[in-house]
Amino acid sequence: MKTEIKHNWHYDQSVEEIWEYLTKAELMEKWLMPNDFELIVGHEFKFTTNPIPSLSLDGNFYCKVLEILPLKKLVYSWKGGANKSEPTLDTIVEWTLEAKENGTELRLIHSGFKEENGPIHAGMFDGWNKNIQKMLSHIKPN
Amino acid sequence: MATQPLDAFQVIADPSRRQILGMLTKDTYNINSLAQNFNMSRPAVSKHIKVLHTAGFISIQEIGRERHCILKQEGFNELKSWISHFDDFWNGKLKNLEMALNSKSGI
Repeated sequence: MKTEIKHNWHYDQSVEEIWEYLTKAELMEKWLMPNDFELIVGHEFKFTTNPIPSLSLDGNFYCKVLEILPLKKLVYSWKGGANKSEPTLDTIVEWTLEAKENGTELRLIHSGFKEENGPIHAGMFDGWNKNIQKMLSHIKPN
Repeated sequence: MATQPLDAFQVIADPSRRQILGMLTKDTYNINSLAQNFNMSRPAVSKHIKVLHTAGFISIQEIGRERHCILKQEGFNELKSWISHFDDFWNGKLKNLEMALNSKSGI
Protein backbone atom coordinates (compact mmCIF):
# COMPACT_ATOMS: atom_id res chain seq x y z
CA MET A 1 0.00 0.00 0.00
CA LYS A 2 1.14 3.52 -0.80
CA THR A 3 2.60 5.15 2.30
CA GLU A 4 4.05 8.37 0.94
CA ILE A 5 3.09 11.29 -1.23
CA LYS A 6 5.32 12.74 -3.91
CA HIS A 7 4.89 15.89 -5.93
CA ASN A 8 7.17 17.49 -8.49
CA TRP A 9 6.48 21.04 -9.54
CA HIS A 10 8.24 23.40 -11.87
CA TYR A 11 8.33 27.10 -11.12
CA ASP A 12 9.60 29.87 -13.36
CA GLN A 13 11.28 31.63 -10.44
CA SER A 14 14.83 31.13 -9.19
CA VAL A 15 15.86 28.72 -6.46
CA GLU A 16 16.51 31.73 -4.18
CA GLU A 17 12.95 32.97 -4.56
CA ILE A 18 11.39 29.54 -3.97
CA TRP A 19 13.61 29.00 -0.93
CA GLU A 20 12.30 32.25 0.59
CA TYR A 21 8.74 31.05 0.17
CA LEU A 22 9.63 27.77 1.87
CA THR A 23 11.48 29.29 4.80
CA LYS A 24 10.01 32.69 5.74
CA ALA A 25 6.98 32.41 7.98
CA GLU A 26 5.11 35.36 6.47
CA LEU A 27 5.72 34.11 2.93
CA MET A 28 4.83 30.50 3.85
CA GLU A 29 1.53 31.78 5.18
CA LYS A 30 0.66 33.19 1.75
CA TRP A 31 0.43 29.78 0.14
CA LEU A 32 0.52 27.20 2.93
CA MET A 33 -0.82 28.03 6.39
CA PRO A 34 -0.27 30.45 9.28
CA ASN A 35 2.82 29.29 11.16
CA ASP A 36 5.71 30.27 13.42
CA PHE A 37 8.48 28.68 11.41
CA GLU A 38 12.12 29.66 11.87
CA LEU A 39 15.00 28.44 9.77
CA ILE A 40 16.87 26.77 12.63
CA VAL A 41 17.51 23.04 12.98
CA GLY A 42 15.58 21.81 16.02
CA HIS A 43 13.11 24.71 15.96
CA GLU A 44 9.61 23.55 16.88
CA PHE A 45 6.74 25.26 15.13
CA LYS A 46 3.10 24.89 14.32
CA PHE A 47 0.87 25.20 11.28
CA THR A 48 -2.75 26.05 11.97
CA THR A 49 -5.77 25.37 9.84
CA ASN A 50 -9.39 24.26 10.25
CA PRO A 51 -10.07 21.00 12.10
CA ILE A 52 -10.83 17.97 9.92
CA PRO A 53 -13.03 15.76 12.14
CA SER A 54 -13.41 12.99 9.55
CA LEU A 55 -9.64 12.40 9.76
CA SER A 56 -9.36 12.95 13.53
CA LEU A 57 -7.25 16.08 13.00
CA ASP A 58 -7.68 19.13 15.23
CA GLY A 59 -6.27 21.55 12.67
CA ASN A 60 -2.82 21.95 14.24
CA PHE A 61 0.26 20.43 12.71
CA TYR A 62 3.19 20.22 15.10
CA CYS A 63 6.50 20.36 13.33
CA LYS A 64 10.21 20.42 14.02
CA VAL A 65 12.97 21.43 11.65
CA LEU A 66 15.14 18.36 11.07
CA GLU A 67 17.49 19.31 8.26
CA ILE A 68 18.53 22.44 6.38
CA LEU A 69 20.70 22.52 3.27
CA PRO A 70 20.39 26.15 2.19
CA LEU A 71 18.77 26.52 -1.25
CA LYS A 72 18.75 22.75 -1.68
CA LYS A 73 16.82 20.87 0.95
CA LEU A 74 14.52 21.39 3.92
CA VAL A 75 13.08 18.62 6.12
CA TYR A 76 10.62 18.89 8.98
CA SER A 77 8.49 16.50 10.99
CA TRP A 78 4.73 16.85 10.60
CA LYS A 79 2.56 15.58 13.42
CA GLY A 80 -1.11 15.95 14.08
CA GLY A 81 -4.12 14.32 15.64
CA ALA A 82 -7.16 14.93 17.74
CA ASN A 83 -4.96 16.64 20.35
CA LYS A 84 -1.35 17.63 20.86
CA SER A 85 -0.35 15.08 23.47
CA GLU A 86 -1.08 12.01 21.35
CA PRO A 87 -0.40 12.69 17.69
CA THR A 88 -1.86 10.02 15.47
CA LEU A 89 -0.26 11.38 12.34
CA ASP A 90 3.52 11.19 12.62
CA THR A 91 5.10 11.98 9.29
CA ILE A 92 8.01 13.74 7.57
CA VAL A 93 7.87 16.51 4.98
CA GLU A 94 10.92 16.84 2.75
CA TRP A 95 11.47 19.61 0.21
CA THR A 96 14.25 19.56 -2.36
CA LEU A 97 15.02 22.29 -4.86
CA GLU A 98 16.93 21.99 -8.09
CA ALA A 99 17.89 24.85 -10.38
CA LYS A 100 16.75 24.35 -13.95
CA GLU A 101 17.58 26.46 -17.00
CA ASN A 102 14.22 28.20 -16.91
CA GLY A 103 13.43 28.13 -13.22
CA THR A 104 13.30 25.66 -10.36
CA GLU A 105 12.12 22.14 -9.85
CA LEU A 106 10.59 21.69 -6.42
CA ARG A 107 10.11 18.18 -5.10
CA LEU A 108 8.00 17.27 -2.11
CA ILE A 109 7.99 13.93 -0.32
CA HIS A 110 5.52 13.54 2.53
CA SER A 111 6.33 10.16 4.06
CA GLY A 112 5.79 7.99 7.10
CA PHE A 113 2.07 7.25 6.85
CA LYS A 114 1.69 4.04 8.83
CA GLU A 115 -1.14 1.77 9.78
CA GLU A 116 -0.39 1.89 13.46
CA ASN A 117 -0.57 5.66 13.73
CA GLY A 118 -3.54 6.08 11.48
CA PRO A 119 -7.01 7.14 12.55
CA ILE A 120 -7.93 3.48 13.07
CA HIS A 121 -5.58 3.44 16.00
CA ALA A 122 -6.74 6.81 17.27
CA GLY A 123 -10.31 5.67 17.08
CA MET A 124 -9.60 2.50 18.97
CA PHE A 125 -7.70 3.92 21.85
CA ASP A 126 -8.81 7.55 22.21
CA GLY A 127 -12.06 8.67 20.78
CA TRP A 128 -13.49 5.30 19.91
CA ASN A 129 -17.03 6.53 19.92
CA LYS A 130 -16.36 9.09 17.23
CA ASN A 131 -15.57 6.36 14.78
CA ILE A 132 -18.31 3.98 15.72
CA GLN A 133 -20.80 5.31 13.21
CA LYS A 134 -18.22 5.02 10.48
CA MET A 135 -17.40 1.49 11.51
CA LEU A 136 -21.04 0.53 11.72
CA SER A 137 -21.38 1.22 8.04
CA HIS A 138 -18.63 -1.30 7.35
CA ILE A 139 -20.20 -4.12 9.28
CA LYS A 140 -21.40 -6.69 6.88
CA PRO A 141 -24.90 -8.00 7.44
CA ASN A 142 -24.98 -11.69 8.15
CA MET B 1 -26.10 -17.39 18.52
CA ALA B 2 -24.08 -16.82 15.37
CA THR B 3 -27.18 -16.39 13.28
CA GLN B 4 -28.28 -13.38 15.31
CA PRO B 5 -27.29 -10.04 13.83
CA LEU B 6 -24.44 -8.53 15.82
CA ASP B 7 -24.60 -5.06 17.25
CA ALA B 8 -21.37 -3.29 16.37
CA PHE B 9 -21.48 -1.40 19.63
CA GLN B 10 -21.48 -4.69 21.51
CA VAL B 11 -18.77 -6.11 19.30
CA ILE B 12 -16.30 -3.34 20.04
CA ALA B 13 -17.51 -2.42 23.51
CA ASP B 14 -15.54 -5.36 24.88
CA PRO B 15 -11.97 -4.36 25.91
CA SER B 16 -10.51 -7.74 24.93
CA ARG B 17 -11.96 -7.46 21.45
CA ARG B 18 -10.60 -3.91 21.13
CA GLN B 19 -7.22 -5.21 22.23
CA ILE B 20 -7.35 -7.96 19.63
CA LEU B 21 -8.16 -5.41 16.91
CA GLY B 22 -5.35 -3.17 18.22
CA MET B 23 -2.87 -6.04 17.99
CA LEU B 24 -4.03 -6.88 14.49
CA THR B 25 -3.40 -3.31 13.28
CA LYS B 26 0.29 -4.09 13.79
CA ASP B 27 0.61 -7.72 12.73
CA THR B 28 -1.30 -10.87 11.89
CA TYR B 29 -1.57 -13.50 14.60
CA ASN B 30 -2.68 -17.06 14.74
CA ILE B 31 -5.27 -17.87 17.36
CA ASN B 32 -2.78 -19.48 19.75
CA SER B 33 -0.36 -16.55 19.71
CA LEU B 34 -3.25 -14.13 20.22
CA ALA B 35 -4.48 -16.21 23.15
CA GLN B 36 -1.08 -16.03 24.86
CA ASN B 37 -1.61 -12.28 25.34
CA PHE B 38 -4.74 -12.69 27.40
CA ASN B 39 -5.53 -13.96 30.85
CA MET B 40 -8.33 -16.14 29.64
CA SER B 41 -8.76 -19.60 28.20
CA ARG B 42 -8.10 -20.29 24.57
CA PRO B 43 -11.79 -21.15 23.96
CA ALA B 44 -12.72 -17.75 25.45
CA VAL B 45 -10.31 -16.00 23.07
CA SER B 46 -11.69 -18.09 20.20
CA LYS B 47 -15.15 -16.91 21.06
CA HIS B 48 -14.08 -13.25 20.83
CA ILE B 49 -12.38 -13.97 17.53
CA LYS B 50 -15.53 -15.59 16.25
CA VAL B 51 -17.53 -12.49 17.18
CA LEU B 52 -15.04 -10.20 15.40
CA HIS B 53 -15.02 -12.47 12.39
CA THR B 54 -18.79 -12.70 12.17
CA ALA B 55 -19.07 -8.94 12.48
CA GLY B 56 -16.65 -8.47 9.59
CA PHE B 57 -13.80 -6.84 11.48
CA ILE B 58 -11.32 -9.59 10.72
CA SER B 59 -10.78 -12.41 8.29
CA ILE B 60 -9.37 -15.81 9.17
CA GLN B 61 -6.96 -17.56 6.84
CA GLU B 62 -5.92 -21.15 7.20
CA ILE B 63 -2.21 -21.53 6.57
CA GLY B 64 -1.18 -25.14 7.03
CA ARG B 65 -2.66 -26.23 10.32
CA GLU B 66 -2.80 -22.72 11.74
CA ARG B 67 -5.59 -20.24 11.55
CA HIS B 68 -4.37 -16.66 11.14
CA CYS B 69 -6.40 -13.60 11.99
CA ILE B 70 -6.07 -10.61 9.70
CA LEU B 71 -7.64 -7.21 10.16
CA LYS B 72 -10.00 -6.34 7.35
CA GLN B 73 -8.27 -3.12 6.51
CA GLU B 74 -10.10 -2.56 3.26
CA GLY B 75 -13.27 -2.17 5.27
CA PHE B 76 -11.82 0.76 7.14
CA ASN B 77 -9.92 2.57 4.43
CA GLU B 78 -8.64 5.10 6.94
CA LEU B 79 -5.04 5.20 5.82
CA LYS B 80 -6.13 5.67 2.25
CA SER B 81 -8.29 8.60 3.23
CA TRP B 82 -5.33 10.30 4.94
CA ILE B 83 -3.04 9.78 2.00
CA SER B 84 -5.59 11.05 -0.46
CA HIS B 85 -6.38 14.02 1.78
CA PHE B 86 -2.76 15.12 1.95
CA ASP B 87 -2.17 14.35 -1.71
CA ASP B 88 -4.92 16.83 -2.65
CA PHE B 89 -3.80 19.19 0.09
CA TRP B 90 -0.25 19.49 -1.27
CA ASN B 91 -1.43 19.72 -4.83
CA GLY B 92 -3.58 22.70 -3.88
CA LYS B 93 -0.81 24.30 -1.83
CA LEU B 94 1.78 23.96 -4.59
CA LYS B 95 -0.66 25.66 -6.96
CA ASN B 96 -1.07 28.41 -4.37
CA LEU B 97 2.69 28.81 -4.31
CA GLU B 98 2.74 29.29 -8.05
CA MET B 99 0.08 31.97 -7.78
CA ALA B 100 1.83 33.68 -4.89
CA LEU B 101 5.13 33.72 -6.79
CA ASN B 102 3.55 34.96 -9.99
CA SER B 103 1.55 37.72 -8.36
CA LYS B 104 4.69 38.89 -6.58
CA SER B 105 6.72 39.16 -9.78
CA GLY B 106 3.78 40.72 -11.60
CA ILE B 107 3.39 38.02 -14.27
